[in-house]
Amino acid sequence: MVRDRTFGNRVTDIILIVVLIGITLSCILPIWYTLSLSLSSNSAAAAGKVWLWPVDFNLNAYAQILNDNQFFRSFWISTQRVLLGVTLNFIMVVLMSYPLSRTAKELKGRNVFMWILIFTMLFNGGLIPLYLTVKELNMLNSIWALVLVGGAQTLVFNVILTMNFFRNLPKELDEAALVDGAGPWYILFKIYIPLAVPVLATVSLFSIVYHWNEFLYGLIFMSREQFYPLQTYIQQLVVSVDPSTMSEDQYRRLSELSNRTLDAAKIFIAMLPVLIVYPFLQRFFIHGITLGSVKE
Amino acid sequence: MKNKSKPLALLLACFLVLGACSNTTNNTPAAPEKSAESSEPADPFGRYEEPVQISISIEIDPTDNELPPGDTPLDNQYTRQIKEALNVDVDHQFAATGQNLRQRISLAIASNDLPDAMVVNAVELRQLVEADQIADLTEVYERYASPDIKSIIENTNGAALDAVTFDGKIMALPGVQANADGIHLLWIRQDWLDKLNLEPPTTMAELEDVARAFVEDDPDGNGKRDTIGITGPESGGKLYANFLESKNNLYGFDPIFSAHDAFPGYWLEGEDGSPVYGSILPETREALANLRDLYSKGLIDPEMGVRNKADEPIIAGKSGMFFAPWWMAYGPLTNAVKNDPEANWQAYALPLNQNGEFRPHAATPSTEFVVVRKNYEHPEVPMKLLNNLFKNEQENTFDPSKGGPGYYPLRVVYAPSDEIEFTVKALRDVLAGNKTAEDFANDKAYKLLPSDIASIKTIKKEPYDSMDISTWNPEANWGAWTRAYSIMVGGRPLVDTEFEAVSSLLYEQTPLMESRWVNLRKLEDETFLRIIMGAAPLETFDTFVENWKRQGGDQITQEVKDALAQ
Amino acid sequence: MRMKGFAKHYYLMLIPGFLWLFVFSIVPMFGIIISFQYFNPGKGILGSDWAGLEHFKYMFLLKDTQEVFSNTLVIASMKIVANLIAPLLFALMLNELRLMILRRWIQTIVYLPHFLSWVILGGIVLDLFSYNGPVNQLTALFGFQPKLFFADAQLFPFLVVGSDVWKEFGFGTIIYLAALTGINPAMYEAANIDGAGRWRSLWHITLPGIRTTAVLLTVLSLGNVLNAGFDQIFNLYNPLVYSTGDIIDTWVYRTGLLNLQYELATAVGLLKSVVGFLLISVSYYLAYRFVNYRIF
Repeated sequence: MVRDRTFGNRVTDIILIVVLIGITLSCILPIWYTLSLSLSSNSAAAAGKVWLWPVDFNLNAYAQILNDNQFFRSFWISTQRVLLGVTLNFIMVVLMSYPLSRTAKELKGRNVFMWILIFTMLFNGGLIPLYLTVKELNMLNSIWALVLVGGAQTLVFNVILTMNFFRNLPKELDEAALVDGAGPWYILFKIYIPLAVPVLATVSLFSIVYHWNEFLYGLIFMSREQFYPLQTYIQQLVVSVDPSTMSEDQYRRLSELSNRTLDAAKIFIAMLPVLIVYPFLQRFFIHGITLGSVKE
Repeated sequence: MKNKSKPLALLLACFLVLGACSNTTNNTPAAPEKSAESSEPADPFGRYEEPVQISISIEIDPTDNELPPGDTPLDNQYTRQIKEALNVDVDHQFAATGQNLRQRISLAIASNDLPDAMVVNAVELRQLVEADQIADLTEVYERYASPDIKSIIENTNGAALDAVTFDGKIMALPGVQANADGIHLLWIRQDWLDKLNLEPPTTMAELEDVARAFVEDDPDGNGKRDTIGITGPESGGKLYANFLESKNNLYGFDPIFSAHDAFPGYWLEGEDGSPVYGSILPETREALANLRDLYSKGLIDPEMGVRNKADEPIIAGKSGMFFAPWWMAYGPLTNAVKNDPEANWQAYALPLNQNGEFRPHAATPSTEFVVVRKNYEHPEVPMKLLNNLFKNEQENTFDPSKGGPGYYPLRVVYAPSDEIEFTVKALRDVLAGNKTAEDFANDKAYKLLPSDIASIKTIKKEPYDSMDISTWNPEANWGAWTRAYSIMVGGRPLVDTEFEAVSSLLYEQTPLMESRWVNLRKLEDETFLRIIMGAAPLETFDTFVENWKRQGGDQITQEVKDALAQ
Repeated sequence: MRMKGFAKHYYLMLIPGFLWLFVFSIVPMFGIIISFQYFNPGKGILGSDWAGLEHFKYMFLLKDTQEVFSNTLVIASMKIVANLIAPLLFALMLNELRLMILRRWIQTIVYLPHFLSWVILGGIVLDLFSYNGPVNQLTALFGFQPKLFFADAQLFPFLVVGSDVWKEFGFGTIIYLAALTGINPAMYEAANIDGAGRWRSLWHITLPGIRTTAVLLTVLSLGNVLNAGFDQIFNLYNPLVYSTGDIIDTWVYRTGLLNLQYELATAVGLLKSVVGFLLISVSYYLAYRFVNYRIF
């Protein structure tokens, strides 16, 4: 189906393209900047000379990273965390959203459950009791602390999104399945989940991004650097130091470590996985959009 | 299913809540068994028969890669030496850097899940004492401190012990740092001065002239007006060091304030002899007026207070002056010289006040404290660890290239207060050929002196009495140059200038400060920065003084008075 | 009815999720008690003395608290509005773009800033707006004097909101795009046959199609009305802009970390939660009353 190619439409198109491209370019900027920083010499980087193009181009920083075991250990911990976190999030979101998308008649106490969820989303007791709880469960230094504590805090939002999606699916689907004698598990897995791919991809992406980028719990629950996830490791690169309580040799050690080129290279590598995963998940959306909105 | 899960969940809840809470309470009973310890003769270096465990917190940067292959933060030259010499096994309860470490310590205190021993700052120490979470170390200090450490601590005129004494009990082991860290100097591009035929500025008026020349007369010779006269603090930086953070303030205006005899952030003796807070005195107003004037004329970095990294223009060769302590080659100067080998940064004890004196403020010698958890079975272990460290640093046992001293458990610095000044004089004698390393064989407290002497001639070229950058050879050994340049250039004004430093009457918090100080400090920071940068008129200072007094300042002043009267 | 037997399966599905939330969300809430105590860590939560409402009274007495609460409200509500509208506009613009390749590229790129932390972005934003930075160079072309943007208390909230929108709009777009996929393509075809133009299809088909998502996101984001973005402000502010830029979280951070005032920090946190909960409840009610839609 071809739309009218009127003059007005074409002008709209051109303005649209210019605006969109402008906005898009501004979004690449920080990544480009980090990349050119990582490819520059350290003294040029420290002097603030690097902007859109590397100064004294070299690959030293990346060569150095190859020798950094801790970087790769942390990278692996983060990868595990994301895999476990996303799987758990997916299962729980599906299992909770479906019953909660029923009416209060079909599921007694549904509204109470919902308000409990909202309550847990908004209230928290702070870090101290959270730390004590994790400690009592013997989960300090365990990857499960990262997966379970962080996951619990993002679960509710994802459940609410998915629950709304389920609720807006046509009722006829259920009825047809019921006539065929399908049980609740069958309806959920064979009918609802396949239909909910876009929203499940979305909440999974939320979960991936959250688990990949979260750094505070790594710092709180892990006693040693060998247990740190990647972002906790990265965060230490940029954490502010206050020289007033230091001796000069401590400061020197820190400033010798402070290598903006190397930091930029680590940050850049840390960004890569999410940048790579996204286009994969994005295919679901694009697929949907091509089907859904415009047809040429 | 539904009915079964409920009691199960409730059970789990009870277990968790009780478990978590009881954990916070069960530390009170069981008084430490001192009797057994007291009967043994106290040996500061004694080895334990049976292995002794200690868990600690440590400041380690996980990105730090300097340990040799195979070594870990828990297994390295330091831990192995400790195991062998003392039979002590060290474990890390947590490790972090900078603000993260503060956060982690704060959490450990609040959840009462303390390691056996850790290094804390003054505010944390106070909190630990009030919550009764740490052990009384009076006996430990008296019986176990090695004579060297005792003499360093006692040579601070009581300042180090005062900082850790609560109700007559020594509650922590204080570190002691060199005095030089608290004296802020003028660092200036000597090559720019020479190029523009100027002298180092001695008065505020001359400082203004030099700054103007640095801004207007194109000292870097690139034909553009792109240079900064005076660098100011970066975003989040301090305008001046204060009584709680009294040393190592980089890029503040401390010498400008003291040139006006103003000591903001310090507790001073007022005219009537009672304590008064320096920030509310007329001298501070005068200094602010001066800074405001300099800023409005464009002589101070227009981006002060907002810039993310104040050292960038210094490194890039765009700034002509800044204020900081002696050790700036450890700071931005290494990169500045790498970037421009002719960047000739020199340090001066300037500008002078109206009487022609340099009157810097002095820092407290102790900012780091080792505390021991209450009821830890071997409260003397941390003291022994510190004894052992100091002894081995004197004997040069450790090789810093196999992991810096930061890996030593519970490390705090013990430096003689005149370490820098002494080293300057010693190195001068060595360079002049008057003395050799053997002449200093007995000055063991100056731990780094032997290596300083050994390396000085590889990096310092003749003439030995000139400190110009052209007379150095940093390429020969950047590490040694960093230290030697800091000492010889940054330490020179400390040796060659007569001055008397102004101390704060108090370097700790009083009880009311715990709840009020953050807000008063915010008021002060905000007002002063706004005045200097022209966002508020100078008269705001007067309302600030009133507000400060009304919002708790007066009560706190009274508290300080009472505290000093004791 | 066969549906009747479903209920027990529904409960079964809910159990694991609720158990998870119970342990990691509800149990740690005992920490809220601290705000009613003179908390002494040595004595623990059970042993500390009661303070009643003293910390809350002190909180309301503090002039600072009023200032930071109002700053937080102003910044957060501007962000909520802007972050709902900007992604929506962008999603709609993208939906109108007919060059599929370009659309795919833009979609893949605009989400990038979302993955970067404020620690990194903060530096870049400050660089952009610095005295000699690109923005000032641009305004200089039009004869303006260079301006120190981040030292201007009047401008600060807008810069914060603007940079936040720039960081998040691309990612926010995802949700809307997912919602757009739910629109039946047949409706567009039908509209086209009826001779409806681009704008009319937008107005009558696209917008109603994503109304539910928009309402849902608005209501959920209202729970965040006291979250003005700690990471961002912490990396951008300075004492010059305290009067308009200091927010609850930065203030609590300074209070808690510098002065270890756990009680006050917990009290402020509790007030935040209560206000968030009230707002969500009110908007839930309003949405039900006026749009006749239960959000959860």
